[in-house]
Amino acid sequence: MSVIQIENLVRDYGGGKGIFNVSFHVNQGEAFGFLGPNGAGKTTTIRHLMGFLRPQSGKCTIDGLDCWNERDKVQAKLGYIPGEISFFDDMSGTDFLKFIADYRRIGTQSRKEELLERFELDPKSKIKKMSKGTKQKLGIVAAFMHNPDILILDEPTSGLDPLMQSRFVHFIAEEKEHGKTILMSSHMFEEVERTCDRIGILRKGKMIAVDSAIALHERHTRSYTVTLENEAAAKAFAADFNGIYNGVKATVTTKQSLEEIFMNYYGGE
Amino acid sequence: MIHMALYKREMKGSAKLLIIFSAIITLYVSVIIYLYDPQLMKTLDSFVEVMPELMAAVGMKANTTNLLGFMASYLYGFILIIFPMLFCILRANALIAKYVEKGSMASLIAVPVKRRTIAFTQMSVLISGILLLIFYSTIIELICAESSFPKTLDITALLILNSGLLCLHLFIGSICFLSSCIFSDTKYSIALGAGIPAFMYVLQMLANVGGNAEKAKYFTFFTLFYPDGIIAGESSAIIGIFILLTSAIILYGLGIIIFERKDLHI
Repeated sequence: MSVIQIENLVRDYGGGKGIFNVSFHVNQGEAFGFLGPNGAGKTTTIRHLMGFLRPQSGKCTIDGLDCWNERDKVQAKLGYIPGEISFFDDMSGTDFLKFIADYRRIGTQSRKEELLERFELDPKSKIKKMSKGTKQKLGIVAAFMHNPDILILDEPTSGLDPLMQSRFVHFIAEEKEHGKTILMSSHMFEEVERTCDRIGILRKGKMIAVDSAIALHERHTRSYTVTLENEAAAKAFAADFNGIYNGVKATVTTKQSLEEIFMNYYGGE
Repeated sequence: MIHMALYKREMKGSAKLLIIFSAIITLYVSVIIYLYDPQLMKTLDSFVEVMPELMAAVGMKANTTNLLGFMASYLYGFILIIFPMLFCILRANALIAKYVEKGSMASLIAVPVKRRTIAFTQMSVLISGILLLIFYSTIIELICAESSFPKTLDITALLILNSGLLCLHLFIGSICFLSSCIFSDTKYSIALGAGIPAFMYVLQMLANVGGNAEKAKYFTFFTLFYPDGIIAGESSAIIGIFILLTSAIILYGLGIIIFERKDLHI
């Protein structure tokens, strides 16, 4: 059953900017990766799902509810990390989380403590003085503390260090195991590849490919098996190039970089 | 309709401005009332005779016979207009447009709370601030007048006058609120929200000078608030107050509807 459904969504900003006839769906319990370079229209699409923008034409629904007309009902199910984090600068992180909990009326069913510990966030300081990464962590805690069923994440790991990025990826995998439906945008292929079941690639406002992560992975990786003089050389070769060895044979896999994948899809422009 | 968690946060945000403006109002009101002295009235009137244009521009006219008339001309032309008006401009802008511009509005709308409830709550915060300022001014006026000149002040007339003042500021607040709801850019919301009241106030100053410039009074809503007329119980002055109040209600409603329907690029 599809939880998130977008049909022929259009928002034309003029001059070729905007999104044009974007359609896709995300099934119950599925993680969908939304990939594209800056300005491709990822955030615009997400703003429609959040009920911030009214579709010029087309439709988006979440759990069968219209994202614009019934946005308050939709919001009850969602957890959202905005692409550009901006909170109330005058508050401390602690006050902000308390405010959001009161504002959302989530009562005592909060996962706040668990999340703070997990992402090693000390929210005591003023938001104004927080680094980008710390603000991002605060955004993660605020988005997840009411334990939502559907997650809409707009470049959720931006600003996080590699350790925290990987911790976040693990966290998302766990959430998925608990049956959460996830839509995650990113411009990092690897991050999406590690977390998502299916991936959609957006280019200049148009959805140019939707495919399973495995298929995309296969299409964009190449393996080479080489035979070396002796086993020691094969072992060293495999270690240096992140491959595996078997006797005197070593197999290495190359991954195309995002640029190359984009070039594949965006061909020649 | 009011979301208490948001209301509390925003009232805290109003507190600093309310305290500063209350302090300024306390200072001015107490000094002006203390200055009331039938003897001094003659001195002030002589100022008015010497430079009628300048004094009239800030709403000060000659022949203020009793204490309330004196207050009406020396407090209700400038101090009690300007400071609540500044409050309206600053707060209305901060309550909606600033959040939209900065993107922090996302935290408020990405939650199962209707946009209508958010806008209504922010409007209530603005109106509460205006109410508190006018209520506080009334108390200060009563305390100062009763302590310096017991039983001189016509209290009923003062209460009616201040109800009129309240309606004027509710109206100014509604212009600022509407402009804050329309624009997602604070520079435009300030330009309109501060620009209209400030421009109208300048027209009012011009009109007060008299002569040919008096025609300016037909182009400013400040004409609808006429303290001397309210004190005298003139029906035209009372109608003016009702026009201000009705327009305020319409503009607040319009602001809420616009905020509910607009696209938010946050």
